[in-house]
Amino acid sequence: MAHLRVIVVLALRNLRRQLRRTLLTCLAMIIGGALLMFSLTLGDGTHEEWIESGVRMGSGHVTIESPEFRSSRRIEDRLSETARQATERVLASAGIAEQVQTVSPKLVITGLASSAAGARPVQVMGVEPRAESSFSTLDDQLVEGRYLESDDRLAAYVGIGLVESLSLRLGSRLVVTAQDADKEIAGQLLRVVGIFRTGVSAIDQTLIHIPLETAGEWLGSGGDVTNLGIIVEDSSAVSGLVVRLKHALAEPIGDGTTIVMDWREAMPQLSAAVAIDDFGNYLVYGILFIIIGFGIVNTVLMSVMHRYREFGVLQALGLTPGQTGGLVLVEGLVLTAVSAVIGIGLGIFVTWYFFGDGLDFSALMDEEMTFAGVVIDPVIIPLFRTTRIIQALAFILSIGVLASVYPAILAAKIDVTEAMKFDR
Amino acid sequence: MIEQPAAVRTERVWKIFSQEAEEVRAVRDVTLAIAPGEFTALTGPSGSGKTTLLNLIGGLTHPTQGRIWVAGQDVSQMSNQEVAQFRLGHVGFVFQAYNLLPVLTALENAEFPMLLQGVPADERARRVGELFERIGMAGLGDRRPGKLSGGQQQRVAVVRAVVSKPVLVLADEPTANLDTAASEALLDMMLELNQELGVTFVFATHDGRVMKRSRRLIRMVDGAINSDETRS
Repeated sequence: MAHLRVIVVLALRNLRRQLRRTLLTCLAMIIGGALLMFSLTLGDGTHEEWIESGVRMGSGHVTIESPEFRSSRRIEDRLSETARQATERVLASAGIAEQVQTVSPKLVITGLASSAAGARPVQVMGVEPRAESSFSTLDDQLVEGRYLESDDRLAAYVGIGLVESLSLRLGSRLVVTAQDADKEIAGQLLRVVGIFRTGVSAIDQTLIHIPLETAGEWLGSGGDVTNLGIIVEDSSAVSGLVVRLKHALAEPIGDGTTIVMDWREAMPQLSAAVAIDDFGNYLVYGILFIIIGFGIVNTVLMSVMHRYREFGVLQALGLTPGQTGGLVLVEGLVLTAVSAVIGIGLGIFVTWYFFGDGLDFSALMDEEMTFAGVVIDPVIIPLFRTTRIIQALAFILSIGVLASVYPAILAAKIDVTEAMKFDR
Repeated sequence: MIEQPAAVRTERVWKIFSQEAEEVRAVRDVTLAIAPGEFTALTGPSGSGKTTLLNLIGGLTHPTQGRIWVAGQDVSQMSNQEVAQFRLGHVGFVFQAYNLLPVLTALENAEFPMLLQGVPADERARRVGELFERIGMAGLGDRRPGKLSGGQQQRVAVVRAVVSKPVLVLADEPTANLDTAASEALLDMMLELNQELGVTFVFATHDGRVMKRSRRLIRMVDGAINSDETRS
């Protein structure tokens, strides 16, 4: 303990001794730390936006469905009544209900939409209008008319691409045809009550929302659904929720009638896009901090070379080689820790103060940009996460420690008699 | 009565350095014993092996052959870690170039070994204060080494060497950088500490003033002991 106190005092005074060199190294790390935080918060904000957009346009943060449904998209692969009831009981239970923001039951099938102008393959989604309105952002992307309402019967909410290709307009009639629950072809007349534009052409040209009740009557599936989409309050709680749901639904999962998937499994393209973007960012941070690391090595190494004789004296006076190396490590660690805290603090403050309301990249985008089936919002709102702050701090400290190891070994391994002859 | 071990004992010690293809025998077959409380000078021309022998005794380097005991403990067989800990408790050093730590004040430099030993602050202050008073450094404790004269720095170095009451103080040319008055004062002080505290002093020196005060003169030539004279 006495040694540690002496080592810390010596380390602090040695850092102060070469103040200009210390400050310059600190400055490099502070700027690096601030850039890291700025970039991390912006990156996380971007990903959160992609995920939010993706899950709301897709199957939610978590989806519960029949194992075959995702590949077949057939009505016979719908969720069993037992599984649906069990799921709804679990979702309403204490500990889970608080995490769930919205549950939207859906009946999704592929079919053919036709009008006087022609026919197009479509994806028909039977939804409960109120639940879906809270689940999806599709109702906000209205171009004309209105979204579905609870008492609608033959209403259809149609993408602008499909409207154009079938020469439809508000109030137009169209017929959708698909295989029903009895494997017979069944048709349903619908009337366009609203037109939407998402910017994703695959969605705009194929998606039709109709009331779930209408879909059930048309296809003879009653109140059955093909999947239950769940939106959670906090996306970081998804993994925990999936584990709890899998545990609670062990029976239907065990008999092969139900699966629980998070958005990563359900939307592998989006998950890959986030992972690739993260990888690119981490690569840049790695390169940035390798450069900064060399700066720390330079500062600490210069300091060691400069004090070669002093290390000899310290060991002659009774400091062990390990403690001598420890002294150099503490210097590197103090230098890094102080710079990391200031840098991260500065990064958070600048990002929050100047860009807290969002960073608008619309000037860089000529038209709507889509990526992995998600419309990219040109305004990115930085996302501040405690785990990111801890990760950044640990990352910078690790760089500092790693960069100080070599100088510390040099200091520990000095030949005391040679060091005493050293005259800088 | 239990016989006290020699402060220093060496047995057939050799130190051979390899320089390029050549071997330099810095210390050759040195066997000697120095009793507790002696005030001994190792003398001889430059390159005779005085400093190397001092470094060997202090455990700053290991012998190529032979063994060395300090206060009964074999320092030649200790690891660098062990010998550093042994030095902290048993050996003090005074160097020609003072070698005070520039980031510490005179007071902190003087109490440095006690800081490492974990001696309580009031005890450290008492011991250093007493010695500073005796060597005329009272009031200068807050100064950094750069603000002290050579003589003052060397006095602080001597206090640092003796303050933790070591068995042995090894002094390598301690007066080489001092003027006559400062050298005389320093040597008087070391002699007093030797007599009052019973600390064993071993010098490596060319200085006639050191030799005059030493009760034992060991002359080295070409790494070997040439003569060993004890004066009354």
